Amino acid sequence: MNPISSLRILPAELNAASLTPDGASGHGFRKVLDSAIDDIQQLESQAETKVAGVLGGNGADVHSAMIAVEKADLSFQLMMQVRNKIVSAYQEISRMQF
Amino acid sequence: MNLFGMLEVSGSALSAERWRAEVVSANMANAETTRTPEGGPYRRQLVVFRGRHLPRFPLLLATMRQAPEQGVRVDRVVPDASPLPRRYEPGHPDADSSGYVTYPNVNPVMEMTDLLSAVRAYQLNAAAVQAAKNMIQQSLQILS
Amino acid sequence: MTNRMIETPITEALGRFLDVDVARYKLISSNLANIDTPGYHTRDLDFRSELRRAAAESSGIEPGELQPASFTPVSRTVRGLMERPDGNNVSVERESLALAEAQMKFNLGVQLLKDQFHTIGLAINSGGSSS
Repeated sequence: MNPISSLRILPAELNAASLTPDGASGHGFRKVLDSAIDDIQQLESQAETKVAGVLGGNGADVHSAMIAVEKADLSFQLMMQVRNKIVSAYQEISRMQF
Repeated sequence: MNLFGMLEVSGSALSAERWRAEVVSANMANAETTRTPEGGPYRRQLVVFRGRHLPRFPLLLATMRQAPEQGVRVDRVVPDASPLPRRYEPGHPDADSSGYVTYPNVNPVMEMTDLLSAVRAYQLNAAAVQAAKNMIQQSLQILS
Repeated sequence: MTNRMIETPITEALGRFLDVDVARYKLISSNLANIDTPGYHTRDLDFRSELRRAAAESSGIEPGELQPASFTPVSRTVRGLMERPDGNNVSVERESLALAEAQMKFNLGVQLLKDQFHTIGLAINSGGSSS
């Protein structure tokens, strides 16, 4: 999946309407956020292993470790963006006056 | 690349070639030595290279999935068994009863060629080290 | 799901490209180290087939799954090289050329990878403002 096209899907899903109390709706916030956090943990532990390997003098190649670190980094940035979307959607709702 | 393992291979070659160059230098310096401290004329020395699997530690080998690379080492430094030339110099202090002096079996031309070969091999392996350094530095650029 | 945005086919392919290049560099380095070792024969790998093999090995893995420790290359002895009296067939010219080639390929791979990560970063941080 092309990163750009898949990211355009995100805002379409993360509009205020999908912020249900229990987060159970199909592609809701909760699911995306959980997925993002899982990914970070996975990528970060991989990066940790590889960097430790480089420093310890065996195992991973330097370029391999750098790639892993960069992926973990981007994954974190992605998670932050998702979080921001959630916050702004919440604010949008709280601005609604009934 | 594995910082330690990779540079070890090239490093082993740098050490070995340097040792070889030193032996050649000793040969050239003693090309005319008719009497060594042990007695007798100097005999040409030569180095024997052998492949060496790196890394050396068996525990490390067990954990690595990659085939160990092959470095090089000086297996031994041996005397050249070829015959020592004799020259007729009756007046020489080291002449034997027949007036012959035994000289070292060192051919300066051959030694020079050997030295150039060692130097070139050294430069090639230094280039390999430089290449590794460049690649590592390039790798760091992957981080934004 | 979000992993697919970061571990794209291109980043994975470039990662494998660099792996194979480094594996080749290690062989070249061994060859150069043993340029004066009696009986030593030049070793090399087939870049394209190793690249294919690496792609095949990782095709069964989902993005985010733990990847194998490191790439194990299949090396072979090189044919057609002239053997010197001591049995050594390492060619200075061949290895020097290969060394330069390996470096250039590595630089290329890193530049492309940098660019790809940069694009992904842009997509993440400035793509798709919703309101």
